Amino acid sequence: MKYFSFLFVLGITIALAIYISRPIGPIPPIAPLLDPNHGFWQNMISEDEKAESEISLPGLSAPVQVNYDEHLIPHIFAQNAKDLYQAQGYITAKHRLWQMEFQTRAAAGRLSEIVGEIALDLDRITRRKGLGYGAELGLDYLKANDQETLEYIESYSKGVNQYIHELSPGELPVEYKILNYRPEEWTPYKTLLLLKYMSDMLVGDRDLEYTNLRKILGAEMLDKLYPDFSEESDPVIEKEKVWDFEPIPIEKPEGVAYPNDSLVFEPLPQPAEGIGSNNWAVSGTKTKNGRPILANDPHLSLNLPSLWYALQLTTPEFSVKGASLPGALGIISGFNENVAWGVTNATKDARDWYKITFRDGSRNAYKYGDEWRKTTFRIEEIKVKGKEDFLDTVVYTHYGPIVYDRNFRGDRQDVNFALKWTVHMGSNEQKTFLSLNKAKNHQDYNQALDHFTAPAQNFVFASNSGDIAMRIQGKFALKWPEQGKFFMDGSDPRMEWQQFIPNNQNPSTLNPERGFVSSANQRPVNSTYPYYVFDNSYEHYRNHRINGRLREMDQITVEDMKELQFDDYYQQASEILPTMLKLLGDQVPEGKNSQTFLKQLQNWDYYAEPNQKAPTVYHIWWDKLYNLIWEKWDEFGVAVVKPNSYRTIQLLIQEPEGEIFDNKSTSEKETATTLVRKSFELMVEELNEYILKEGDYAWANFKNTTIQHLVPQFNSFSKSHVYTGGGSGIVNATSGRNGASWRMIVELGDSPNAHGVYPGGQSGNPGSKYYADLLPIWAEGDYLNFDLRAPENLEGILFQTTLK
Amino acid sequence: MKFISLTILIALIVVFVNPFFPYWIVMILIGILSVAFGLKGFVSFLAGGLGMGLAWVGQTVYLSFMTGSSLPDQMAEIMGASSGVFLSAITGLIGFLLGAFSAYSGSLFRRMLKKRPDNIYRG
Repeated sequence: MKYFSFLFVLGITIALAIYISRPIGPIPPIAPLLDPNHGFWQNMISEDEKAESEISLPGLSAPVQVNYDEHLIPHIFAQNAKDLYQAQGYITAKHRLWQMEFQTRAAAGRLSEIVGEIALDLDRITRRKGLGYGAELGLDYLKANDQETLEYIESYSKGVNQYIHELSPGELPVEYKILNYRPEEWTPYKTLLLLKYMSDMLVGDRDLEYTNLRKILGAEMLDKLYPDFSEESDPVIEKEKVWDFEPIPIEKPEGVAYPNDSLVFEPLPQPAEGIGSNNWAVSGTKTKNGRPILANDPHLSLNLPSLWYALQLTTPEFSVKGASLPGALGIISGFNENVAWGVTNATKDARDWYKITFRDGSRNAYKYGDEWRKTTFRIEEIKVKGKEDFLDTVVYTHYGPIVYDRNFRGDRQDVNFALKWTVHMGSNEQKTFLSLNKAKNHQDYNQALDHFTAPAQNFVFASNSGDIAMRIQGKFALKWPEQGKFFMDGSDPRMEWQQFIPNNQNPSTLNPERGFVSSANQRPVNSTYPYYVFDNSYEHYRNHRINGRLREMDQITVEDMKELQFDDYYQQASEILPTMLKLLGDQVPEGKNSQTFLKQLQNWDYYAEPNQKAPTVYHIWWDKLYNLIWEKWDEFGVAVVKPNSYRTIQLLIQEPEGEIFDNKSTSEKETATTLVRKSFELMVEELNEYILKEGDYAWANFKNTTIQHLVPQFNSFSKSHVYTGGGSGIVNATSGRNGASWRMIVELGDSPNAHGVYPGGQSGNPGSKYYADLLPIWAEGDYLNFDLRAPENLEGILFQTTLK
Repeated sequence: MKFISLTILIALIVVFVNPFFPYWIVMILIGILSVAFGLKGFVSFLAGGLGMGLAWVGQTVYLSFMTGSSLPDQMAEIMGASSGVFLSAITGLIGFLLGAFSAYSGSLFRRMLKKRPDNIYRG
């Protein structure tokens, strides 16, 4: 009996211990999660409460000093570059390990390992686009051409891994605890993969949609609705620019024909609307202090932990500060003692699709001119949590991978398209940033940019010697007009990209007469640029506002530039609302509150301030009107891209009676006027419903700016209803989910006068007080002082750590 | 008296050993301690439970006060629980069960080893 009762109780004890240490379905093991000494409770401790004055970091050649300022921004002082990047890797991992790892797992198509089958389709598409393939080629390129950069990347990886190895169970970031997995080794490959991932976030194409539209609308209507040049184009490079190079001749080969299939499959996911950025620099002639000022605010999806991590990196050779990407080396948007630079997206149809004709079902060979070329097969092995591994075979041609085929979303079994993309070309973007970090002048900046392939960026520049510059850098295929706008025939070699535009013929400008340079994702150049330039996503409003303001401004100060970055002027509304009100006329449709809404619009000054109601009224009204105009196109039954708001507005103003507004399937004839009235009614209806449900329809409440955790299901780690103005297409581009992910303003002089902020915090730990402490500052349009710090400057220092 | 000593000792083990070892090591130590103390089954059960349970609750309360972090409430939301306080209570309950059964096992183990007196004349 004694034996029995002992064994019985021991059995219960062991069973209990085992039961709560194992996952139950999707629920993580409960004991390790709740154990106060190892579980999530440990993640409540903020970084300053566990500050260490000394940390052993084997492999450093000399001690490295790290001074954290009051917002946990590390200032790293190393004796040489190799130590510097090892320390950067270690310190970044200390604050952002989970995010770094999660993003690279997403980029590698490995999310299924963590979350199971639900992510399998996403992983497959990521891999079939060839991001991993591109990163492998990037690594090969470094091995063959740039040992120095590779060595630095290895030092960085070493630093990250040193942190992973010393990580105690209690300190493990809370997301690992909830999702029940562990970090794995960091490698140089992951750093390159992260940079490829940025391309994926920023680059889209509409080849499929344009192919369908050409078939449905015909070439003439296509040109009318999607003109290559808008009427009042204000391109990135000033219109007056004279191109002083001999262009390489290129002509559309005679007799080439596009494949004329009707394509019914789903297009690849595109970059979210509202992803874009502003940057500009004003020369000393326009500023109060006679010094150039540079500003940059990249707009990306607003996430926590923030995409950016602020840092100062210092060696005896250089001292640089600004925003880094956790996982990549150096500073991406920032400044040093001599120069400042910033980036905005400059995509230019970098992805093209080629229809592949296979010889037979084995897909071993495809037609290319008169020959049959061999394919290669890449087997993607996807580990799936709780399931067997999934094997996906991807066929590669010399163009690139076949993304859709009979194995994947093959609605039409006979079509196969290869993706040609600059991401699949060996390149060295990391080198660009490492070189920019220590650039001293315009020449250094230009040399640094020569290494940059993708995603193409507008690089703004200013130096303390007084130069301001802009260069649009990427690897751009030299295309004949409309090459790559539609799907192309991969069996016709004349359809292929023949060569690339040389770097020194990429659009650029130095110290233009107007006294400023600026970019806001608009068209890069006007029609005098000798090469074909096309993309569907060029923006029309922010550049009007920014350039308009910069032209009229004089005696500019840093404060003026802060105001411009936070400018809430709703340019789009100012261009169309007067016409909409005129077309609406006196016959205001009846409906609850309709007179109130109308008055709000009539009295509006076009500023999208958070407490204003008119922006909400306008936003819904415009949305309804746009949908009414183009909803007839939904009946095409294939993927198309609708004309953008800019073109739609032009049509409303110029030809309100035009055929384009008529819906042929109805008996009456629609015009702009009838659609404006109808959409007003729909707006009144929807807004009343909103008021009934939510109450306050002030702009901030309506647009609900949310900084979302990278795992959207972890709702309580997100910050919603941030009280701030702006919106999509506004200089302060803060909409619901996108906006200024980093704001920086630098006045160059004897020493730079710098200001910066981002909507998040330095810590990636949701339990830390540094997780989102910068968010209120950002929402108010305020900035942190971002001046360079000397190692002996201990003013406002949170704590110091020596790595040795 | 022995009961209070055992409870306090178990709490101290949790506070000083648990940070460096996983909870199952702590369970084994509680079991051994309970063998050494040789209290009756139910008393051991209670001492182990209270020692570990209160220590865990105490630690969560201490961390909450010290850091002021709202993480417990956020975690509660993700886990579908009502609040951080509730998670604190659950943590205490789990600590109680682990401590209690470990100590109970230890007590029964000692009883099992205790040899039956064999020098008694059973006529």
